Amino acid sequence: MNEAPGNILIAEDNAALASVMRFNLERAGFRVTVARSGREAWEQVCSRSFDLILTDEQMPEMGGREFCKQLRSRTESCQIPVIMLTAKALEIDTEQLREELGIETVFVKPFSPREVIRAVQNRLAATC
Amino acid sequence: MLGRSAHWEVPRRVVVYYLLFCTIVLGWLLASAVIVSQASMRHNHEAAFLSYLGRAAAETTISYLETEGTDLQKLVERFAREQSLLYCAVVSPEGNYVAHTVRQRVGKPKTEPTGQHLRWGTVDAVRCRTGTNVFREYRTPLEAGGRTVGTLLMGVREVGWWSALRLTAEHAPLALAGPGLFVLVGAVVLSRVVRPMAAIDAQLRDAAIAPTLADTRLQTVKYRTPSALGWNRLIRHFEEESQGGSLDHRLNQALQSLRRDKVDEVLNSLADGVAVTDAEGRVTFANQALEAILASDAAAGSLVGAAMEDRLGLPAQSPALRQFLDPALHQRLVVQEISWEREGVQQTLRLARSPIRSTGQNHPGGFVWSVRDVTQQRLAEKMRNQFLDSATHELRTPLANIRAYAETLSLSDLIEVERQKEFCNTINMEATRLSRFIDDLLSVSSMEMGALSLTRQDVDLERLFREVVSKVKPQMDQKRISFHCVLPEKFPAMPADKDKLTVALVNLLGNAAKYTPDGGRVGLKVKVIDRRLFVDVEDTGVGISEDELPRVFDKFFRSADPQVREQTGSGLGLTLAQEVIRLHGGELIVESQLGVGSKFTAMVPLD
Repeated sequence: MNEAPGNILIAEDNAALASVMRFNLERAGFRVTVARSGREAWEQVCSRSFDLILTDEQMPEMGGREFCKQLRSRTESCQIPVIMLTAKALEIDTEQLREELGIETVFVKPFSPREVIRAVQNRLAATC
Repeated sequence: MLGRSAHWEVPRRVVVYYLLFCTIVLGWLLASAVIVSQASMRHNHEAAFLSYLGRAAAETTISYLETEGTDLQKLVERFAREQSLLYCAVVSPEGNYVAHTVRQRVGKPKTEPTGQHLRWGTVDAVRCRTGTNVFREYRTPLEAGGRTVGTLLMGVREVGWWSALRLTAEHAPLALAGPGLFVLVGAVVLSRVVRPMAAIDAQLRDAAIAPTLADTRLQTVKYRTPSALGWNRLIRHFEEESQGGSLDHRLNQALQSLRRDKVDEVLNSLADGVAVTDAEGRVTFANQALEAILASDAAAGSLVGAAMEDRLGLPAQSPALRQFLDPALHQRLVVQEISWEREGVQQTLRLARSPIRSTGQNHPGGFVWSVRDVTQQRLAEKMRNQFLDSATHELRTPLANIRAYAETLSLSDLIEVERQKEFCNTINMEATRLSRFIDDLLSVSSMEMGALSLTRQDVDLERLFREVVSKVKPQMDQKRISFHCVLPEKFPAMPADKDKLTVALVNLLGNAAKYTPDGGRVGLKVKVIDRRLFVDVEDTGVGISEDELPRVFDKFFRSADPQVREQTGSGLGLTLAQEVIRLHGGELIVESQLGVGSKFTAMVPLD
């Protein structure tokens, strides 16, 4: 359980969802920081280093896409793997998200937390 | 059919008959005149001649007695000269010519002519014929002292046809003036009577020999006699009957013009713009709707005669223009949607062009265009898509929480009881949120169908407001919004639909909380004045722009403001709130200033 520790940032305005994801990730042995908006997440990224970011698409102040764009524009953060959570299913073009924003996996709400954690684990294991 | 020559043919025929008739009458008249004058002349001549003969006999007798007959020859020659005689002679009692205008005969015996003998006293005559001449030989004895000394002979041409004719001819001008006048008058009268009749007659003859009556063209005549006028009247009547006239034809004409008028009327009444262009692309017809859609810049003038593509204002390289100009597409229906800005308003037009195909022709003779302003439709579609987008978000978010918590609960071991309780509470809350949204959705749906109705019962307003506040308070607390609530000390009872009124008020307060930034203020002020309930919901939120203010109650409407956009919402809350308050007989009004805040005031009568 402790073999792959990593810093994970959750950017999610839905407090309940952020809370349950944090619970699950911490149980899986990750260190979790929660940001309530894209801007807050950006501030966190600038002040600390993260191994993976889970971000919602629709957030106040700064959306998930805008946040990713900023993330990729900064050398220190351009390599951080990003998993996106979204409530929209029809408009999501995963290919476009991967190419333009480097988003590797997209989970459409309602998703299974277990699958998200498995994806996080797999991604971090591949990096190590 | 009835040319000039034919027109004159009949009069000529009539004239020939007329002239023939005149000739016969005049000839008869002339012949009578000759016969009468001959008879009269013969009688006069005879009397005069006999008297002359008497005198001549007396003179001859005297000369015979005085001169023994020596002057007789001179005498007969004088007689012959005076009376234009054929001959004159004196015969001795022995029967020899003593004197004769033909001198060779003197001394020769008298020749007795043969013929009819006539006698007047002592004078007798023989009427004899030699060849064509008829003459009479008058003879009178020359008596002196009781004895006959000889006979005087005078051969005289009988009054014939020729001399009678000569006599008639002398008086002819006078004699013929009367009948001539009659002939002339007759001709004039005839021409007046006969010519129109002849013109009519000619047409009737044509009608008699024409293969079918349809080939006959009866026409009016240019005369003004009563018969001509009657004829013309008849013809005009028939023309009316046949040309514009037969009931069938008139009905058809009326129907056709009615149809044309009707078609124009129908086309002009269409809400869609309709234009017809010829093969060159020029507009030949444009209905009023199209003029209204396209000619908002009236300076461009009427559409008729203009090129449709020009008036649509299509940019040179636009795909729509390329499609319309592509010859390969001339045979087919082309549908394009174009957007343009007219007087600052974005308009979307749907253009459909279809070829007009004349039967048997491959190339279209022109096009029919229909132009529909689909701006409102596109706007509605956009709003519906926005709604769908928000609705799925609104549905997925609580569902995501429920699933995440439920799965965590079921799959994780060793969760503290407190945590478990908390998770279950969250699941419960999210389920409530979901069901509330679905209620909203259903309410709006029934509102759209006009089926939203109230179940009124006496409502404890104080409890109602407490419930409303309790539903919104956590949200405000989360955003550290300061909430000021002013409620009257005592609420009157009010018959109302408790659930729907709660939903409406929660929507108003929820919006205030949702669109007010962290640390802002929201106020709820309830008053009862004149049996009317006033509810003010005031916030220091993002506010609503002046443009969007009239549309905030439209269903699915969501502001374009990014600050509003980042919040989830269905665009149904205010629509529903307004409808519920309207059903309670009240009204909901809004005042707002962008960036400062909004104030919604609901007024509901208590009775």
